[in-house]
Amino acid sequence: MTEAATSAEPDFFAVFGVERTYAIDRDALEDRYLELSAAAHPDRFAGASAGERRRAVERASAINEAYRTLRDPVRRAEYLVKLGGVDLDRTDPERGAPDPGQGFLIEMIELRESLEEAQAAGEEAVDELREEIEARAEAALDAGVDAITAGDVRGAAQRLVVHRYLQRFLDEADGERGG
Amino acid sequence: MIPMSNENLSIHDTGALFQIAEPEEKRARERRPGFGIGIDLGTTHSLVALAAKGSAPRILPDAEGRALLPSVVSYVDEAPVIGHAAMDAREEHPAEVISSVKRFMGRGLADVDFHHPYHLADDGEGGVLRIDVSVGVGAAAGRARRVTPVEVSAEILRELRTRAEAELGGPVDGAVITVPAYFDDAQRQATRDAGRIAGLNVYRLLAEPTAAALAYGLDRGGQGLFAIYDLGGGTFDISVLRLRGGVFQVLATGGDSALGGDDFDRALAQHLLDLAAIAEPTRHQRESARIAARAAKEALSCDAVTHVRAEALGLADAEVRRETLDELIAPLIQRTVRACRGALKDAGIRARELDGVVLVGGSTRVPAVRAAVEKAFGRPPLTDIDPDKVVAYGAAIQADILSGAEREGVTLLDVVPLSLGLETMGGIVEKIIPRNATIPIAARQVFTNYSEQQTGMQIHVVQGERELASDCRSLARFELRGIPRLPPSMARVEVTFQLDADALLTVTARELMTGVKQSVEVKPTYGLSEDEVDQLVMDSYDHASEDYAARGLAEARVELGRVALAVRTALAEVGHLEAVLPASERAAVEAALADADAAMSDAAAEAERIVQVRKALERVSEPFARRRMERALLAGMEGRSLHDIENVLAAEEGELEERRGGHTAALIEE
Repeated sequence: MTEAATSAEPDFFAVFGVERTYAIDRDALEDRYLELSAAAHPDRFAGASAGERRRAVERASAINEAYRTLRDPVRRAEYLVKLGGVDLDRTDPERGAPDPGQGFLIEMIELRESLEEAQAAGEEAVDELREEIEARAEAALDAGVDAITAGDVRGAAQRLVVHRYLQRFLDEADGERGG
Repeated sequence: MIPMSNENLSIHDTGALFQIAEPEEKRARERRPGFGIGIDLGTTHSLVALAAKGSAPRILPDAEGRALLPSVVSYVDEAPVIGHAAMDAREEHPAEVISSVKRFMGRGLADVDFHHPYHLADDGEGGVLRIDVSVGVGAAAGRARRVTPVEVSAEILRELRTRAEAELGGPVDGAVITVPAYFDDAQRQATRDAGRIAGLNVYRLLAEPTAAALAYGLDRGGQGLFAIYDLGGGTFDISVLRLRGGVFQVLATGGDSALGGDDFDRALAQHLLDLAAIAEPTRHQRESARIAARAAKEALSCDAVTHVRAEALGLADAEVRRETLDELIAPLIQRTVRACRGALKDAGIRARELDGVVLVGGSTRVPAVRAAVEKAFGRPPLTDIDPDKVVAYGAAIQADILSGAEREGVTLLDVVPLSLGLETMGGIVEKIIPRNATIPIAARQVFTNYSEQQTGMQIHVVQGERELASDCRSLARFELRGIPRLPPSMARVEVTFQLDADALLTVTARELMTGVKQSVEVKPTYGLSEDEVDQLVMDSYDHASEDYAARGLAEARVELGRVALAVRTALAEVGHLEAVLPASERAAVEAALADADAAMSDAAAEAERIVQVRKALERVSEPFARRRMERALLAGMEGRSLHDIENVLAAEEGELEERRGGHTAALIEE
């Protein structure tokens, strides 16, 4: 029923005036963020007209959204793929997330079963399984980033979908431990 | 917005008036620097502080010199009584004297799972919570009164506003009101509504820990990583902030909006009831136990042992040791420590990376709390600013900035404490804005139709971290209407959820195929509707009188502008003719015009002064206006009929009316 918006959104890299690449200077990004935020924050426009105040809220929102996406390695990678034409938040076969494949989905079901077994076996078993999956998730992300850098959007999307499944598994494993 | 086109205002005049009036027309809100106040609206007590025009913040005390106003409102008498006097009536009339009302803000009947002595009701459909305060004395006097928590809070705010106005010698321009960082949208909205009902222009809702950081950070050169541990009477917040180059960036926040010193009191009260062997206490006994417990808790902050005397419980001289209290409250303190760990994790910070831990809130006076914080963060916490006052200080500083005062610029980047989501199929929540996202922030979602018959759609907005909508806070429900009849999945409605700098939500929608704006009527789940708030605002006499004053001022300014314009136009036309305007008279007229300009550009000028200035201008320019009119009439009669002259005059009058209309609307709208 829902899908991510595809309407004309500003390019987050352009908001920060940086090149549209995965490699990014974190410190420079932070500095730029504080600079942009200080200038655009709605409190700066407390005495302005209603229209100007509304625009300030919109501008500050765009800066915050861009910052949230760019500073996070996963979101940044997914965003580059989206700019390349594949939106992982959509489900349609053409422009949406690629199908991870039957084999992988079966493997995920099996992993869930192993998690239940590990939970029954105790904290140590869970940690072991967790570490294994974490390494796989990181490898998937690295492969995705390599594909982006090579200009292979479709290939990057494939890997990032796998990463999403693994990450969700990790979140659930943590969640059930009350982390 | 009333459109304010300048074309129809600049007919045949020199434009002089509009240079004066222009800043006002572009600015919907006129501010008075130095007239902004900071309010800490607390669970157990509230404060108001002022930091006018860059000065150091100070608390505004009451006539007796007391800084803290107990957040207690008594409805025993016809007129509500607020503060210390209300507290005295509490033990005798537990159901009609409301304390700790903050716990009920933005809540529904089903959320109230703690002990309280009140008679609660809602609208029947689980809507707004109301407290029946006419159960004892009120009922006997034939009164029937139900108040919402918002109205009770408004009484407290009004009292503080009065205090501030006595100090300022005039109306408050606006207020920054602090809220727990962990307050959700409904609780924030309720607080803002209370401010409006109290007749305050609420500049901003500021998170309490952020306010405290502002007060501390400015003292310390504004650099570093800080954790703010804020344990008040009824709420707990933990915020992790980074201070850098004048920017206060909240990295993460966590807490519990129903955990505070009140719970310590309740735990100790239960202990006292156990000591007195009272298994089923009456409302009265429970309230007595609570009051005795609070006094004992406070005594135990300094002493190792205290003695409780409570006649209502039959306790003559019960000994309570600090260890007993510590043991009773240990599970509560443990909850705060867990929240601290969570916030550090969310911020991606280790405890040892922090430059300091700041204690805020009266409940941090409890020795066991200090010990727990020191242990959790591995360092002694900072307490150099009075933990009761630091939040109000920070609010006052921010209020000063927002009133337009010149002050070293700081920027506060706050976060939304709880994720915002939508209920989807099967009651599952789809998160659209995650917790700890810096605000303001927007999220867009596109909804499609599932059949050609579908022209509307129910949307349920929730806030919280749980997977199921029924486990989260319900914020609002609304219906998207007017979706065009299109094949399945072809209609696309984009809904924008905008969180502003107060973390308050607004929803807008538009259909992407047609670009048509959709009607969105948001019904807050537990809040008052816009109409209800408006009604309460209207009901408030204080506000009505202030509104009246504001309108009077606006009208006075319009009138002065009109007269000054007429005089300037006349000067430009015939002012050079010595016969119509002798030099000495001209000087007097120009002086009066200068006074008018000064009054118009002085934002603090009151209606009375503006009326006086206008009368003076009319007086000195009257002979000139009369001579000019005579000249015009004479000139007109030479070639024109009286009918023509009347037509010209009528047309001019029409234009004038139009101008006045435009001015009045623009000014009153502020």
